[in-house]
Amino acid sequence: MDSNLIEMRHMVKVYPPSVLALDDVSVEFRRGEIHSIVGENGAGKSTLMKVLYGLTHANSGEIWFKGKPVSFREPGEAIRAGIGMVHQEIVLIPEYTVWENIVLGVEPVNWLGKLDRRRARELVRQKIDEFQFNLDPDARVEEISVAARQKVEILTLLYRNVEVLILDEPTAVLTPQEIPQLFAELTRLRDGGHTILFISHRLEEVLELSDRITVMRKGKKVDTVDAASTNRQELARMMVGREVIFTTRRKPQTPGDPVLQVEHLTLREDHGRVRLDNLNFEVREGEIVGVAGVEGNGQFELVNTLMGIQRPTSGRILVRGRDITHCDILERRRMISFVPQDRGKMGASLTASVWENAIMTHHRLNPNLSGWRGILLNTRYAQQFTRQLIDAFSVVVSSPRATFRTLSGGNQQKVIVGRELMLQSDFVLLDQPTRGLDVGSMEYIHDQILRIRAEGRAVLMISADLEEIFLLSDRILVLYRGQLVGDLPVEQTTPQEVGALMLGGHRTSP
Amino acid sequence: MKQKVLNALIGILVALLLGAVLLVLQGYNPLETYQALFQFSLFGYYPFATTLRNAVPLVLPGLSAAIAFASGVVNLGQPGQLVMGALFATVGGLYLDLPPALMIPVLALLAMLGGMIWAGIAALLRRFFDMSEFIVTLMLNMIADYFTAWAITEPFKDPSAFSPMTPQIAASGWLPKWGEFNSMILFMFAAVLVSWFVFSRWKAGYEWRITGQNALFARLGGCDINRNFVSVMLMTGALAGLAGGLVVMGSTHRFIRGLGANYAWDGVMIAIVANNGILATFLYGLFFSAIQTGALGMELITSVPNEISQVLQAVLVLVIVASREYLNTLVEQLSARRRAREART
Repeated sequence: MDSNLIEMRHMVKVYPPSVLALDDVSVEFRRGEIHSIVGENGAGKSTLMKVLYGLTHANSGEIWFKGKPVSFREPGEAIRAGIGMVHQEIVLIPEYTVWENIVLGVEPVNWLGKLDRRRARELVRQKIDEFQFNLDPDARVEEISVAARQKVEILTLLYRNVEVLILDEPTAVLTPQEIPQLFAELTRLRDGGHTILFISHRLEEVLELSDRITVMRKGKKVDTVDAASTNRQELARMMVGREVIFTTRRKPQTPGDPVLQVEHLTLREDHGRVRLDNLNFEVREGEIVGVAGVEGNGQFELVNTLMGIQRPTSGRILVRGRDITHCDILERRRMISFVPQDRGKMGASLTASVWENAIMTHHRLNPNLSGWRGILLNTRYAQQFTRQLIDAFSVVVSSPRATFRTLSGGNQQKVIVGRELMLQSDFVLLDQPTRGLDVGSMEYIHDQILRIRAEGRAVLMISADLEEIFLLSDRILVLYRGQLVGDLPVEQTTPQEVGALMLGGHRTSP
Repeated sequence: MKQKVLNALIGILVALLLGAVLLVLQGYNPLETYQALFQFSLFGYYPFATTLRNAVPLVLPGLSAAIAFASGVVNLGQPGQLVMGALFATVGGLYLDLPPALMIPVLALLAMLGGMIWAGIAALLRRFFDMSEFIVTLMLNMIADYFTAWAITEPFKDPSAFSPMTPQIAASGWLPKWGEFNSMILFMFAAVLVSWFVFSRWKAGYEWRITGQNALFARLGGCDINRNFVSVMLMTGALAGLAGGLVVMGSTHRFIRGLGANYAWDGVMIAIVANNGILATFLYGLFFSAIQTGALGMELITSVPNEISQVLQAVLVLVIVASREYLNTLVEQLSARRRAREART
């Protein structure tokens, strides 16, 4: 068994109070392989890696590394032993240069104990050349792309001589054009003797990249298979436990009158930076318009100005012909359903009960929720209303009085989506409606979005997931540095074209 | 709910045990001490009535703090609002003389008005100059303190008194007593009921609660959080002001120096111990009142100084607040460990 570099045996991990994240998982990783771990959200793949890396601790089980039992109390020990992890969120100091970030914590010093800048920079330069990473060591991190920052993270670990690299969904933040380059680099690292553990739920890329694949479902290991001897359908079935349909269920439909009209919308910040640059578009009845773009290119500001959190510098927003540019939020909520991207920050109060979350906004608009003279809240009707929502949107919950936090992510999102769709507004704004959801919940939310399209409502959906955008949208808008660089009917474009627009604002690949 | 009661009981028990250790170390008999403490606060007609009466100026500022904190409003101006309420009621009682059925409500309303005005200043400063109510309410406490001190040494001074105080208010404004029970406790019960009703049955209360938990969510949901902020400030100011008015009308019958004592700060502390729950604030208010009341009697029959009540209070606050989170975590970790054991087999 000496080909196994790492063995994890009978790992059990329970997150308090009783979330069984790892249920007796045993898995082996061989030296010099790219081993992917796939599974839905909550399947336990990240937990398994965090346990290995010392970020969290298992309740029981053994980890063997290079033939010896190990147990890392904290990530520093894992890195010293030769295991490093790149997280989903990139943690670098934006104001520092690439080489400064890489040497931070293990700086080469001269005989006075001072940082030897020249040698540090030279060491980083050597590493960049050794691994052919195409990075400028003197660039400041805030000025380089997300893909380049990811490389800096990987190089930070390689600089510390790790043999095993764990990558947690590294492609989630990349555009389609950037992914092949990452894969080429990972393959090169593997050929140089590194072992790569790759967490993902995107089956296409897993099949393309990996030597072996471990599938997890609900905290259990389903199987470990050779990538060469499996396919997407089989992996999906193992992951979800049933057949999954990948193709769109969107039926052709002619859109009606415009519902949302955005005219010359511009948002300039106080210090002159332009966040939204003269946006013009409309969303019509029975139409889903997807907004694609790398995060931070104006999506956040677009949502904020539509919802009235930020005032645009100039331009107009009209819903059903009515200018709402200067309306307060409640006035907008009479016409707009809004599913925000962050459940805990904008979409709900985690510490409140399910019913208190379910009646938000309705409590102002639905007369049945009002008691005496509109002063009292009709709490009995609130319970009844919440039960209706729970039934209509298949929410799994013990009672409307349960604390919202105790619901799973998928069920939380169903409550939020249900609440917003039950407002019956003509215009629906969805900001990352399925972020962080498992496949089952995602399919369910997608069905609901298609249902309201069939009802003739207008939908504007912002998503970082191009697959989702292509699955649902009739038209795709592309945002790049606050500008609308594309307004494309979905039949006449490809993910490659949209990806190129997202990256550079023009259609040819860079 | 059951969990909360259990946490509270465990907290109180642990605090009493720690207090007992301190007593033993000082060479006192803890059993005798506790027996005396509760004998002079709970068991008996006179002790119980006294405990209830003493609870009034603790529970009202406590409710004020609890509602403010639970709504995300950092109103720490209860001491200032309390003395302003007391001053308003006193001045009303000096210049008005109506039949008691009218006089008492008018003075109570004046007291609430005084607290509302004082809290309202902070609310307006926040609304129009974006000044944090945290610091403004604290500063206004100082101003209220010196302002009332001036008021009772200059314009409203009792010329016959040797120290700064006002004359007595008209007797029609005195709160009636039934035996040992002072009618000020009726105001306390009413305030608890009204606070609970507004906070859990009004639409406004719903919006306040949600805003306190997640203001951005409430705002995006269409709640007018600026208006709600002002309403919470005014309501909590009124509660603290009422406490001051009741002290004047029910016990001192005039504004004397140091009338506010530490009531308001004790109230804030009680709200924190009660985790900003309305009924919990009421119950803890009674409990803290029992300790303060019993300590005086305890001093009479044991040699334990009544300062021990402050030590007990401090230990109670620390233990209950610390154990609230700790017990929850402990329960969760124990159940996690049980679950892990099941998974292994």
